[in-house]
Amino acid sequence: MMDVPVSWYLILAVTLFGIGTVGVLTRRNLLVVLMSLEIMLNGVNLAILAFARHHGDAQGQAAVFIVMAVAAAEVAVGLALAIALFRHEGSVDLDRATRMKG
Amino acid sequence: MLTNLLAIGPELVLTLTVVLVLIADLVIGDRPARRGSLAVLSFAGLAAAAATFFLLPDGGPAAFGGLVSGDGLGVFFRGLFLVAAFFGVAFGALSDEIPVERFGEYAAMLLATTLGMSFLVQSQNLLMILLSLELVSLPSYVLAGFRRGDSRSSEAALKYVLYGAAASGLMLYGFSLLYGMAGTLDLSAIGPALNAKAAGGSVGIRAGIALAALLSLAGFGYKVAAVPFHQWCPDVYEGAPTPVTAFLSVGPKAAGVAALIRFVVIGFGASVATPPAGGLPWPVLLGVLAMATMTLGNLAAIPQDNVKRLLAYSSIAHAGYLLMGIAVGTPDAVQAVAVYLPIYLLMNLGAFLAVMAVRAKTGSETIADYRGLVARSPALSIALAIFLFSLTGLPPLAGFIGKFYLFAAVVKAGTPFFYVLAIVGVLNSVVSLFYYARLVKAMFLEASPDGAPAVLVPVPVGLLLAILAIPTLVLGLWWSPLADLAARAAGIVG
Amino acid sequence: MDLTTNSMLLTWTVFTPAIGLTAILALLALRPLLRLSQQAVDEASRAIGLMASLAAAALGIALWADFDSGTSNLQFIHRFVWMKSWNIEFFIGVDGLSLSMVVLTGVVFLAGAIASLPWWGRLDDHHPHFSKKRVPAYWILFLLLEMGVLGTFASQDFFLFYVFWEVMLLPMYFLIGIWGAPTRKDPDGRTRGGPYAAIKFFLYTLAGSVLMLLALIAVYYASGPATLADGSQAQHTFNLVHLTRQAHDGIFVKAGAILGIPFVHIVFVAMFLGFAIKVPMFPFHTWLPDAHVDAPTPISVILAGILLKTGMYGMFRFNLQIFPTGVVWAAWAIGILGVINIVYGAFVCMAQKDLKKLIAYSSVSHMGFCLLGLAALTPQALTGSVYQMISHGIVSPMLFLLAGVVYDRAHTRDIEGFGGLAQKMPEYTALTGFAFMASLGLPGLAGFVGEVLVFLGAFAAQDGIFRVLVAISALSVIVTAGYYLWTMQRIFLGPFNHRWEHLHDMNWRERLTLYPLAVLTVIMGVWPLPVFDMIRETLNTLLASMPAGIAG
Repeated sequence: MMDVPVSWYLILAVTLFGIGTVGVLTRRNLLVVLMSLEIMLNGVNLAILAFARHHGDAQGQAAVFIVMAVAAAEVAVGLALAIALFRHEGSVDLDRATRMKG
Repeated sequence: MLTNLLAIGPELVLTLTVVLVLIADLVIGDRPARRGSLAVLSFAGLAAAAATFFLLPDGGPAAFGGLVSGDGLGVFFRGLFLVAAFFGVAFGALSDEIPVERFGEYAAMLLATTLGMSFLVQSQNLLMILLSLELVSLPSYVLAGFRRGDSRSSEAALKYVLYGAAASGLMLYGFSLLYGMAGTLDLSAIGPALNAKAAGGSVGIRAGIALAALLSLAGFGYKVAAVPFHQWCPDVYEGAPTPVTAFLSVGPKAAGVAALIRFVVIGFGASVATPPAGGLPWPVLLGVLAMATMTLGNLAAIPQDNVKRLLAYSSIAHAGYLLMGIAVGTPDAVQAVAVYLPIYLLMNLGAFLAVMAVRAKTGSETIADYRGLVARSPALSIALAIFLFSLTGLPPLAGFIGKFYLFAAVVKAGTPFFYVLAIVGVLNSVVSLFYYARLVKAMFLEASPDGAPAVLVPVPVGLLLAILAIPTLVLGLWWSPLADLAARAAGIVG
Repeated sequence: MDLTTNSMLLTWTVFTPAIGLTAILALLALRPLLRLSQQAVDEASRAIGLMASLAAAALGIALWADFDSGTSNLQFIHRFVWMKSWNIEFFIGVDGLSLSMVVLTGVVFLAGAIASLPWWGRLDDHHPHFSKKRVPAYWILFLLLEMGVLGTFASQDFFLFYVFWEVMLLPMYFLIGIWGAPTRKDPDGRTRGGPYAAIKFFLYTLAGSVLMLLALIAVYYASGPATLADGSQAQHTFNLVHLTRQAHDGIFVKAGAILGIPFVHIVFVAMFLGFAIKVPMFPFHTWLPDAHVDAPTPISVILAGILLKTGMYGMFRFNLQIFPTGVVWAAWAIGILGVINIVYGAFVCMAQKDLKKLIAYSSVSHMGFCLLGLAALTPQALTGSVYQMISHGIVSPMLFLLAGVVYDRAHTRDIEGFGGLAQKMPEYTALTGFAFMASLGLPGLAGFVGEVLVFLGAFAAQDGIFRVLVAISALSVIVTAGYYLWTMQRIFLGPFNHRWEHLHDMNWRERLTLYPLAVLTVIMGVWPLPVFDMIRETLNTLLASMPAGIAG
């Protein structure tokens, strides 16, 4: 079976990371932003796995487990706050969360 | 095995305390003594954690196969965080911004943050750094949004989460690149590996290392609230309940600073005294960040009318001064940072406690409502003035000593860039007087608005103010114990 | 020179105000227990403050009596190690120059203390007098300021000096801000008043101080090994005596350049700027008129009488003593800036309508003489400079007290608004005329000695430019006479302005401050020898360290 070069994984990882970053920076819907965050983190996960495979080091694979757990916790907090935002503003549009300025 | 467990003894006790607080919260239920007993339980836990410091294995070996380090820097900051946690719990117990029935959650979250901070300053492994950083951040997000009914609090927490998650995402990507290039997650091995690669390698490799380092800085910069990762700070500080703001302004900030020191100075071996580490001019890079941070913090604070926002920008400026010390990277500079942070803790906690007390009685956080406070509450005004002038860095207050150590370390570095940095630093101190004095002026030089309520300070609050103010006065004249502790913290560098 | 502790007299002098301060604090703390009324506390605070100032002044005289003027060595030394990690010592001692300033401080603060006592006449509801407002706090800050000033003059350790220097700033801020004029809008719509003047003063002087801080650190790291008070060796030092010796051995000349500029030059400029703002030297003088106009009378007295001298003292003690080559290098600049002070100050005075502002600018002008004398670097010029510092420290408190006399009664200082006051207040007129004459340098009064010595000394200086500077300054003395005489004419002479029918002449509190100062002015004018004796050895030692051929 042909071995997939590491660089292909890395390019995919960068692409995912880029998509995620753009999403976080530009999207207005809070839920979409949270999803973009997840995409970012998964892009990183992919990169770590690729490097781990490249170096033959299992530490990287363990790291990915941890990162997945952390990402889940983060998004849980984010969703809880999305509920709070919805309660206050009636929508999850981030442009509505602007009571503090300057 | 036992050595490993003893090395993280304080953290184990903290974990136990968190669990006990949550259980106690359930058990005690709705009884009136709830807040007090939970607070006492937390204090007991913190005291026990402090006691286990004596059980730490000597010599500071790396425990758990190199994940955490028991060196002086770690021990110093872990002790400092216990103090910060004590005040955090105490402030929460005395504040009306934390609902009584949710105090157990508050204490548990705060202790969990402290746990994360303690691990962060010991971490020697990229993964451990990430995990600890997240353990600091996640409960902080919850704490920031603690006042569910207050839309500003929810908004603060939301901005905190989004910003923090994005920043840690960037940092994680940087870490993945570092892992990829160095082949290991261990910080002490990454530095030499990257230096070797940078020395022999092509432009591509050097660019890769630079990119990785800069992305990693995103995470630390966000925690410390340095430019350009500071934008969450004013909103979060303003919207979060004041006890939370007080804790956030000293705890996670100090943790971020310590972690940055470990990452840059110890990991990369970067210091003004050594050649560029990993191919990056760390001193200049951090120096420029420092100048940007302190200047922006000080200038943006000037037009602020909300006291908490003003103090938020002030804490950004102080992060700038601290970055100045990290940029130099010599043992003297690390000692200076270690002297500065406890003093900063005292001053900042004191200032926020005063703000908390005023808010409790007047419901206001705007400077205009501080007018004539000296007539309504002389002791409180004098205490707040002490903290504000100490933050400016005026002798004979402790804040001056902190700044003196930092500027001395920068001047000692002796390169033209650092002389310029020192000049920018001192001029920034003068600018900061402008906005600290605005608050003092309102309190002392202006008359109270009609119908302004008297601000009676409850005894426990007054006691805490005194506990914070007296060292601020004393350390300005006699600071040897602190200097000795800081020297031991810096002993591992260089 | 033996640097071990040999006397506690100076320590007592410096910390007597602190004792008074603590007593007032104790009084405030015990007030509920002793059930004292506000009136009682106020009176007690005044009494304590007055006694503390009197004690400090008396101790200053005692120091003078015991002073050996035959040597320039430090006397009344008290020295012990304070912070070992930085080789900082608590090291105080006086030589002739410091002693003259310490004595002057005692006298000026005593005058200020008496002037802070309540107005003895009928109080006007529209113009509440500052002396009745928050009395204990006033005296606490007053005594804190006095301690700061005394400590500044007595310090022989650079770090200790810096701490005392900064301790002077905070009380001034509150004294001007709280007890000064209320905030108002001037005709141009700009905000002015006590708080504005206070923060301006604070910001300006702090900016100078932080530059001095950097210079302090740079000097420390460039300094060589020295012995501490407990006998141990130190790698670097803040000790001024040791620093002076090391400087003369050339250690700073060999120090590395900073930002490409020679060490000596850049450190000299940094320290100089810190002091120049206090002097105040053009163009950093703009805080002074605002501060004087809006400060209460006693604070103006202290500001002009002694606080400005801390700047000049710093120049002598640090710039001249440690970096004599720096003074030689900058002599042109200092001389020219001094003359700008003299001339600019004098001309601006001509245009002033506010009496206090006029006196403020005349202070700017007179301090220019001190700068010129310093730059000329001859024995006469230096003596004149120091003598001018002292004489100005006696005469300008008189001037500000006199301005206060009329302000307390008329609640205005507009020169044009008065007229013919001589008919109503002859005693006041006589004293004001006397003070004006003293200030413009009439022979026989204090101001003359300093000015003429500066002129003679500068004229004899090596560098020919000083002759030109002297000529220009001498011409401006005419302008000085002009504005003073014109002011006298506008306020006191001419037809009586019946708006001031209700004014009455001086009361005993005012006489108590003014007459002693007047007597001192005359004594200093006709019998300068005691002061000369006090400062001669110190100035000789300072000049002896000059590169050969400079001192004329």
